[in-house]
Amino acid sequence: MDIVVCMKQMPDLQQIRIKDRKPILENVPLVWGDLDKNAIEEAALIKEKVGEAKITVVAKGSDKLQQGILEPLAMGADEAVLLTDPAFEGSDSMGTAKVLAKAIEKIGAYDLVILGEGSTDNYSGLVGSALAELLNLPEITYVRELNVENGKVTAVRNMEESFEVVEANLPVVITVAQEINEPRLPKFMAIRKAGAKPRHEWGPADIGLSADEVGENAASVDMLSNLAPEQDRKNIILEGDLDEKIDALVDALIKEGVLGR
Amino acid sequence: MSEILVFCDKDETAFELVSKSREFAKELGATVSAALLGNGAAGKADDYFSYGADRVYVSEHSVLSDFYVATYADALQQIAEGEDVEFVLLGSTKRGKELAGRLAQKLNAGAITDANDVRVSDGNLVADRYAYGGNTLASVAVNTPKKVISVMPRTFEAGLREAKEGEVVNVDLDLKDPEVRVVERRDKAGDEVNLDEAEMLLCVGRGVQNKEDLEMIEELADLIGAEIGCTKTPASDWEWFSEERMVGLSGKKCKPSLYISIGISGQIQHTVGVMDSKIIATINTDENALMFNITDYGIVGDYAVVVPKLVEKLKSLG
Amino acid sequence: MEEEKVEVVIVGAGLAGLSAAYVLAQEGVDTVVVERGDYPGAKNVTGGRIYMYPVARYFPELWEDAPLERHVTRETLTMMAENCSTSITLDSDRFREEPYHSYTILRSKFDRWFGDKVMEAGAFVLPKSRADDVIMEDGRVAGIRMGDEDEIPADVVIAADGVLSLMAEKAGLRQAQQPKHFAVSVKEVIELPSKTIEDRFSLGPNEGTAQLFFGDLTKGMMGGGFLYTNINSISLGLVVGIESLMERDPKIEVHELIEDFKARPEIRNLIAGGEIVEYSAHVIPEGGVNAMPRLYSDGILVVGEAAGFGLNMLLTVRGMEFAVGSGVMAAETIMKARESKDYSAASLSYYEELVKESFIFKDLHSFRNVLSMLENPRLFNFYPQAVCDIFEKLMWIDENPKAKISSTVIREGISKFLNWSTIRDVAGMLRI
Ligand SMILES: Cc1cc2nc3c(=O)[nH]c(=O)nc-3n(C[C@H](O)[C@H](O)[C@H](O)COP(=O)(O)OP(=O)(O)OC[C@H]3O[C@@H](n4cnc5c(N)ncnc54)[C@H](O)[C@@H]3O)c2cc1C
Ligand SMILES: Cc1cc2nc3c(=O)[nH]c(=O)nc-3n(C[C@H](O)[C@H](O)[C@H](O)COP(=O)(O)OP(=O)(O)OC[C@H]3O[C@@H](n4cnc5c(N)ncnc54)[C@H](O)[C@@H]3O)c2cc1C
Ligand SMILES: Nc1ncnc2c1ncn2[C@@H]1O[C@H](COP(=O)(O)O)[C@@H](O)[C@H]1O
Repeated sequence: MDIVVCMKQMPDLQQIRIKDRKPILENVPLVWGDLDKNAIEEAALIKEKVGEAKITVVAKGSDKLQQGILEPLAMGADEAVLLTDPAFEGSDSMGTAKVLAKAIEKIGAYDLVILGEGSTDNYSGLVGSALAELLNLPEITYVRELNVENGKVTAVRNMEESFEVVEANLPVVITVAQEINEPRLPKFMAIRKAGAKPRHEWGPADIGLSADEVGENAASVDMLSNLAPEQDRKNIILEGDLDEKIDALVDALIKEGVLGR
Repeated sequence: MSEILVFCDKDETAFELVSKSREFAKELGATVSAALLGNGAAGKADDYFSYGADRVYVSEHSVLSDFYVATYADALQQIAEGEDVEFVLLGSTKRGKELAGRLAQKLNAGAITDANDVRVSDGNLVADRYAYGGNTLASVAVNTPKKVISVMPRTFEAGLREAKEGEVVNVDLDLKDPEVRVVERRDKAGDEVNLDEAEMLLCVGRGVQNKEDLEMIEELADLIGAEIGCTKTPASDWEWFSEERMVGLSGKKCKPSLYISIGISGQIQHTVGVMDSKIIATINTDENALMFNITDYGIVGDYAVVVPKLVEKLKSLG
Repeated sequence: MEEEKVEVVIVGAGLAGLSAAYVLAQEGVDTVVVERGDYPGAKNVTGGRIYMYPVARYFPELWEDAPLERHVTRETLTMMAENCSTSITLDSDRFREEPYHSYTILRSKFDRWFGDKVMEAGAFVLPKSRADDVIMEDGRVAGIRMGDEDEIPADVVIAADGVLSLMAEKAGLRQAQQPKHFAVSVKEVIELPSKTIEDRFSLGPNEGTAQLFFGDLTKGMMGGGFLYTNINSISLGLVVGIESLMERDPKIEVHELIEDFKARPEIRNLIAGGEIVEYSAHVIPEGGVNAMPRLYSDGILVVGEAAGFGLNMLLTVRGMEFAVGSGVMAAETIMKARESKDYSAASLSYYEELVKESFIFKDLHSFRNVLSMLENPRLFNFYPQAVCDIFEKLMWIDENPKAKISSTVIREGISKFLNWSTIRDVAGMLRI
């Protein structure tokens, strides 16, 4: 069985500092999307279950991927395709889907394509669906339980008012929800060995696209502004023993007019 | 004349969008239409007209009885492609979001999801949505001929209804059988709550590890007249609450006067849902928790000790 | 590569650990550095000045384009009394000559860069990984453990994990220490445009200033403060002895001290409009030769602050040069031991020889009495006040005739400064 997992690397959102309402991204360490880690974990679990499987991670991003890719490789991926060409920069979600689709077509063999239900930074939820459309595959989104057997998947989807049990034949695109599994922390020796696993770096030409069909040039969404919402908090940590803290809190909330009206 | 086409699997959200689209239509010189798909679609036409639709497209095709994203995307493409449809406004429900990607791809359109405001600017619709997980709010606009935008439920209000005539177009759709079959649907425990309207909100996070402790938290909520909300884990993983009570990026956006966080670390995906609170109070054992950065009044301490004391104090005030 | 063991595992990607790793990697030794922070430097606290002379000789090619901040051209020492202060400033052309004498440094930036260089040289830096224990095998250290699940077996371990070195303790090289032996520090990095910094401190481009403070800012407790100018930020902090902090009545928290310090007019205007981008608290060892643990044992070496290589002079802390030096010496020791694949204590004892012959030991030795001198409370309240008083009298002009200046001052000077305790203080200072 061939499994492709799409993963996005991004700045650690908790460490982004805001200055003059603008996000400062420089020097913020890069991390993998939370749900994308669930996606690779699920692929690894399936492989452990079915025995024979090959997992390929596809990631579009900066050249920092070279370093970061060790983590998914150590978590169980066998191979990686890195789309780090600067021409890819500035894509919107639909553009990302296009590039991923071309890369996956080039990989050729794919019974399961697994993504996160949303990227941790954008959470647009567009890439999975658009990718499924481009690959002309059925899709099952918001998956919290997944079972693959005899060329068929059964999945439990987490919808607003119900859990939906569905089935489909392979190949299929899956997007996973956070509760599907607990991503493993790769062990050191696995990370070390990950360095030896095959990695491919493809630019636009490798996947049959020209430079102006990708990246910012081809983006179908324009960003007009991107600023932090204004926040002005008092940041008072109440001091003293517990009784004093409680008294101070209640007093403050009454003075603010939000309590005891 | 350009056309704004509205669709949502939840009628109340569709009504909000139709109402608002009337305003957009005036500014853009456009018309407003809606797609009604699946069993009982025809019967809803008058409701849609009453909120301001000029036209509805109706199909009760048998394969539309269950919502499968590719089938629905196919249907909407057939409706949106032939006509002057320039904007497709979807509700940003789970189904709406998955639909957005498929449909946009079929229409060669750019797409925006989770818009929490939309307005007209230079003959186009500009949407606001959170970026960097909620660190920033981006204003974005689609630049392709057709544009798909999914809007968060309750972003707009459904306006007053008025009796109005409209055009019913019965569409004849060419649709395939869905490739994904629904085997079973297990309803979640019903929980009718509108956190987004709560005046007082108390949220619990992963720091509250014992379900029994919810009792004291409920007592506190009762005393101050607060609704209880939560972060992702208590809803998705522990299933203590329905997702109706989850607050944040993928949950509810709230604007209470007072928001109290209990055992919540303050990751941006949660706090984006409470940014607009008037006052934020926090109880957390970890003085370095990010939550304190956006807190007005904080207590560093164990909720298991702090909450009972707070309850006691509030009771003593009567 | 497939072997489930590495040659050297280094705990801590601070200056000491990275220096060792850099040298080893360049020699082709299979080396791994584990760091608990998100990246090297993420958790490092340093006041912020490194003296180049002791370290320039190690990896000169690196220092060339290292992200150092400003070279220090002005040194100021300020004695703070309650409502006034006196400063002495040294501004010397010698500081403007290359090679520069010292630089300010931001460790979060520097260590991260250094980490990348170490990776380029071929060592592996593993961030977000905390070592919790050493692996013991037949009485010798044989690697490290991370959590319950993970471990890295190795020929030799270098403990470079900083002041409270868990690794040295787990390997039985030192005992858990007493608070008496530590000071605490808080430090803030306050961002300001570089032009503003240059204007406020009257500095040329790339020029920096180092200011040390003692007196009232520690409210009579043993300690002091520092201010360093970086390219576009100011590092401001203070250090107080834990013991004097614990004994103080009424109690005061360190963060209150720094708030009060920042509110002083001498500081307030320098940092006005700046944004705090880093806040950190840290313990500092007493340092000096008296506080040194054993430096090696079978399969393990201890470097940098983990080995107690630090000088806590309270107003200022020195340790970075020792960290670099000891890291390099540990690497050299391992290169030698590697020839015979003998990582026993006997073989690794070469490290102690190197340290003892180096500037590290000499510096630590010559400063060994600093601390006892610093324990003198007169330094923190009496002298700053007395000096200020005299200066104030000299400078103050009012409607009364400014006669007899000299006689007032002389009389006061004699009564304040010429008595037994002050003479003892002076004698004490002369010893160091
Ligand atoms: C795409 C995406 C969308 C997401 N959307 C949402 C969303 O809409 N809403 C949401 O909430 N999350 C969302 N998340 C998850 C989010 O990233 C965080 O994981 C989540 O908000 C963390 O929840 P928490 O604060 O309850 O848990 P934690 O981060 O584990 O924090 C628990 C806190 O409790 C404190 N604590 C522990 N014990 C005690 C005690 N005894 N007393 C007091 N305090 C204690 C701890 O100090 C800690 O700070 C999303 C994630 C992704 C990737
Ligand atoms: C406030 C202050 C001001 C100072 N000012 C100066 C100055 O101006 N000039 C000067 O020369 N020196 C100064 N120093 C001293 C200097 O910072 C230290 O001597 C120097 O950083 C020591 O380097 P190191 O590599 O030994 O340790 P550190 O720099 O402390 O590095 C230790 C590393 O190990 C990591 N670590 C610790 N435990 C573990 C573990 N279990 N597993 C994995 N990783 C671990 C830490 O995260 C850290 O990255 C100052 C110190 C302080 C606190
Ligand atoms: N740059 C990318 N590289 C690889 N996969 C991506 C990328 N961006 C998004 N994805 C995948 O698409 C999913 C949904 O992303 P989004 O549509 O941005 O919410 C993510 O969880 C990833 O699995």
